[in-house]
Formats: sequence, structure tokens, C-alpha cells
Amino acid sequence: MYNELNPLLLSQLRLAIMSHLMVVREADFSTLKEQTGATAGNLSAQITKLQEAGYIDVEKTYKNNYPLTLCRISPEGIAAFEAFYANLKTYFDSDNKP
Amino acid sequence: MENEEKVLNPLESLRVIRETIDLAKSSLRENGFHYLLWGWLVVLACIADYYLGVVLQYPGHYLAWMGMAAIGGPAALVYEWRREKKHAVPANMVRDWYGRVWLAFGVSLFLVLVLTIRAHVSPIPFVLVLVGFATFVSGSLLRFKPLLYGAAAMWIGAAACLALGYREHLLIQALATVAGYLIPGYLLNVKARSSHV
Repeated sequence: MYNELNPLLLSQLRLAIMSHLMVVREADFSTLKEQTGATAGNLSAQITKLQEAGYIDVEKTYKNNYPLTLCRISPEGIAAFEAFYANLKTYFDSDNKP
Repeated sequence: MENEEKVLNPLESLRVIRETIDLAKSSLRENGFHYLLWGWLVVLACIADYYLGVVLQYPGHYLAWMGMAAIGGPAALVYEWRREKKHAVPANMVRDWYGRVWLAFGVSLFLVLVLTIRAHVSPIPFVLVLVGFATFVSGSLLRFKPLLYGAAAMWIGAAACLALGYREHLLIQALATVAGYLIPGYLLNVKARSSHV
């Protein structure tokens, strides 16, 4: 029996952002842009959606007088990603059963 | 990521997760160069200090440590400069923190050495406590357990110094450095090489 996959994480870019943050926990905007290959506008839009869902916290600060946007995965985000990954595995586990 | 709202199927989702996590992990990859460089230098300096001071009774036995700093400092700087020139690693917060921890360690080490030498007490247990702290934080940042065990070895070494004299402190430091720097350093190299395959 398949569990419904979280539609918020079924987007390629949002899932890439969350996967990256699962490893590093915290990343600045330009690192996420570099790591995902996304455009600034698209990345910004998807970060906003993840922030609205409570999956990431966004902090706007400065580093060497330049604006710096820091994205940090929240405990809710970690739980959502882990649940998504567990549900995803059930698809393949079920497929492999005789 | 051309399609901003591309909806994935389960197989594509799994592929995105695996590829992104592999890429993120590679940005955190750290090899064992610094642990091996400083590990061997500290072990050799401990043995040289012990040999010069205890066996030969040479008053300038502490020169072994100056030799260590004179070799290690430039070697570490040249290595980092060449690494940055060869392949710039994307900036990330973990690398930032990793650098900050060792910068704070360097400042603290300098102060501890000055203070303990002025107070005429053995600096080794205090240095081991500091090294253990920085190694533990590094191991946590890199998520590399051998460094956590290495930090524990440093702390155990520091505690063991309580029962021993200065000359034996040198041998304790050499042993703790083998466990805390050299073994994790070689394991980090093995890990870095295997993740290149």
C-alpha cells in the first residue's frame, strides 16, 4: 500500500534544496544556487514556498557589508523530508516483492 | 532546473535526492592532509624533545617544537593555497565553521602556551584539552566518527597527565596524537579516495 507523497517535495528544485540542507543543515543563497543550478528568481520562489510550509528558516543578514540570505532546515523540515523518503522507499520495496 | 515546477515521479525523486546529497557531501569532503601533517610533526617533536631532554640532557630540547612550527606552518599554508588554486570548493557554512574552529584553536593554543610557560607548568595537558575540543567539533561538522574517538583519546591523555611528570607528558601526547590525528587522518584519506571513485 502506497502512502501519498508530500506534493510540496515532489518539485525537482524544492526537493534538491531540501536534500542539500539535509546534509549541510544551513546554506547561503548563492551556495544553493550553485549546488542546484537554479535561476535566482526560481530559487527565491521555491525557498519562499518551503519557508511558508515551515520546512526552512530564512535569515537575512550581512557578510562583509554584502547582503546574505541564510537558509536553515527546521525540525519540521527534517521530519517532512524523512517521512517523504520513507514513503518513497515503500514504492520500491513494494515493487520488489514477488 | 529549467522547469521550475517540474513534478517528479518516485524514481525521479529518488534520483534527485541521491544526486543532490552526493554533491552536498562532496562539498564537505575533507582529506586527512592536515591531521597527518600535524600528527607526524607533533609525534616527531615529542620524541625529539624527550630524546634531547631526557637522554642527551640538552638544555635546548624545546627547539624541537620550534622546528615543528617552522615546517608545519608554511607546509599547511602552501597546501591550502595550492588546493584553492586547483579546485575551488563551493563555500558552505560547514566549511566556514570548520575554519573558524581551527582559527579559534590557534589563538587559544598560542595563549595557553604563553600562559603555561610563564606559570612554569606543563602546557601539554592544556594543549590536549584544546586539541580534543577542536577535533570533537571538527568530527561533528564532518560527521566523521574516528575524529570523535580521536578527541576522546586527547581528553583521556590530558587526564592521564595528572598522574605523570612532564617528561612522561611528552610520551602521552605522542600516543594521544597517534590516536587523535594520525589514525583519523589516514581514515579520512581512505574515505576521500573512495568517494572519488
